[in-house]
Amino acid sequence: MKPIIKVENLSKRFRFNPSEHASVRYDTLRESLVKAVRSPFGGLRRMLRDNDADLWAIREISFDVVPGEVLGIIGPNGAGKSTLLKVLSRIIEPTSGRAELYGRVASLLEVGTGFHPDLSGRENVYLNGAVLGMRRREIDAKFDEIVAFAEVEKFIDTAVKRYSSGMYLRLAFAVAAHLNPEILIVDEVLAVGDASFQRKCLGKMDDVTRSGRTVLFVTHGLGMITQLCQRAVLLRDGRVSMIGPAAEVVDHYNAIWNS
Amino acid sequence: MDSVTTEMPGESEAVPQNGSTGLPESSSVSSANPYSLPEKPVVVIGASKPWVSLNLRDLWAYRELLYFLAWRDVKVRYKQTLLGAAWAIIQPLVTMIIFTYFFGVLARMPSEGVPYPIFFYAGLTLWTFFSNAVVSGGNSLIGNTNLITKVYFPRLIIPSASVSAGLIDFIIASLLLIGLLIYYDFAVTWAYLMLVPLILVTTLLALGMGIWFSALNVRYRDVRYALPFVIQIWLFVSPIIYPSSLVPQEWRWVMVLNPLTGIIEGYRSSLFGQDFQWGPLLYSTIFTLVMFVYASYSFRRMERHFAEFI
Repeated sequence: MKPIIKVENLSKRFRFNPSEHASVRYDTLRESLVKAVRSPFGGLRRMLRDNDADLWAIREISFDVVPGEVLGIIGPNGAGKSTLLKVLSRIIEPTSGRAELYGRVASLLEVGTGFHPDLSGRENVYLNGAVLGMRRREIDAKFDEIVAFAEVEKFIDTAVKRYSSGMYLRLAFAVAAHLNPEILIVDEVLAVGDASFQRKCLGKMDDVTRSGRTVLFVTHGLGMITQLCQRAVLLRDGRVSMIGPAAEVVDHYNAIWNS
Repeated sequence: MDSVTTEMPGESEAVPQNGSTGLPESSSVSSANPYSLPEKPVVVIGASKPWVSLNLRDLWAYRELLYFLAWRDVKVRYKQTLLGAAWAIIQPLVTMIIFTYFFGVLARMPSEGVPYPIFFYAGLTLWTFFSNAVVSGGNSLIGNTNLITKVYFPRLIIPSASVSAGLIDFIIASLLLIGLLIYYDFAVTWAYLMLVPLILVTTLLALGMGIWFSALNVRYRDVRYALPFVIQIWLFVSPIIYPSSLVPQEWRWVMVLNPLTGIIEGYRSSLFGQDFQWGPLLYSTIFTLVMFVYASYSFRRMERHFAEFI
């Protein structure tokens, strides 16, 4: 069966500044100029040499996902889960390796990306939909459904900064839940709202996975993995430690964790 | 199983075809997958090559996002204000009154044979649009960090949306200019047609500067502090408060090196039915095009690291 996602030797290196023991978020122009004067070829040397302080967030990751599959990605903090999702979502560029995606991708790394507090619920649905790659016509068609799902009909023309945090998250999730791409990349965004809304989210997620959509799914909730996914990938220190049927991978992870 | 679709990369909005691709090997999926795979990948991810393309296809695919982001900027600008969009007229109007008193009345600034208020106001509207566009464009990427670190889309859309949003204020401020033209009894001439390319060149120049500054700003926050300063200096070296004829003839060419000189004088010429200075206009247009192309490519080159550095 031809895979819909093909990941081959995907690696991402983050550069850190060893002198400061902190990541270089941004330099000022002066600092860069000083550096350039002190060591004119420093930049080149740094590029060629593998610095001790560099971090390979993910290293030589390979796997295939077939259409309709729901693949869970688990691992301890810092294992590279989020980096992998960000690379596959084209937010950061890999250092080496390659991935091919045979379908339209939508990624949900958080709910409510692009929500603006001063805009109304209605305006934010359109804005957020557009940010997530929906067409205006698509949003028009699904608007009522989204609002009903979020249970915010009465407040849809109120600025979202006046919403309770629950209402805000419900609306944000509702927009995301009505995306219709072939491939969905999801980072731990399902547990929003109160218990009853969480059940609704999980139910929606279950529908999504049954609709033949291909889903990549990062979570710390191992129960969710066994419930929603057929297969799972266990990441450790940026590498694939295990890949296989979800239940087995989760058992393996639990075994490591407990020992 | 390998039903061929005609779908090409980038045209992924087509409705999924009906041919079933069968079940995945681990067959706990209950329904057949309705999506048949395209021959070529829709998205290829890899380390980018040293040269870059502008990726116009992607920009076109995301045109609605450009519209929504510009619309957001316009909507948000005057939220929770009493006077709303009236601010777009109040600010230049008050500036015009004060400058007319000091420069027109007290300092007796020459104004190319037209009344000083309209001479100044014409330059001011175009300048306000330009400077706001450059500043908001330049700060647009760092103001949209949450989008850049969480979703993919062509990043050029962000500064472009900021610059486009400024056009609305420009149109509102121009209503007063129309009023002044009627008040001072200026005739409508064919030269008005030149306004369209002139505004276009101004927009492109602002866009080029905004794009370039925004990308630099991601890496070097100095830009944020340098920008207002650069803009302030730029105001004084452009013929907005004074006509460039005030500058001695032998130094006029220095004035013209500033691409805004040709544009602003051309703008006034077309409004007031005066003769065009084609040389400076041509220079400004060429400068703008070169700047715009350079800025777009260097933006694309820096774009791949935005999410890491921002």
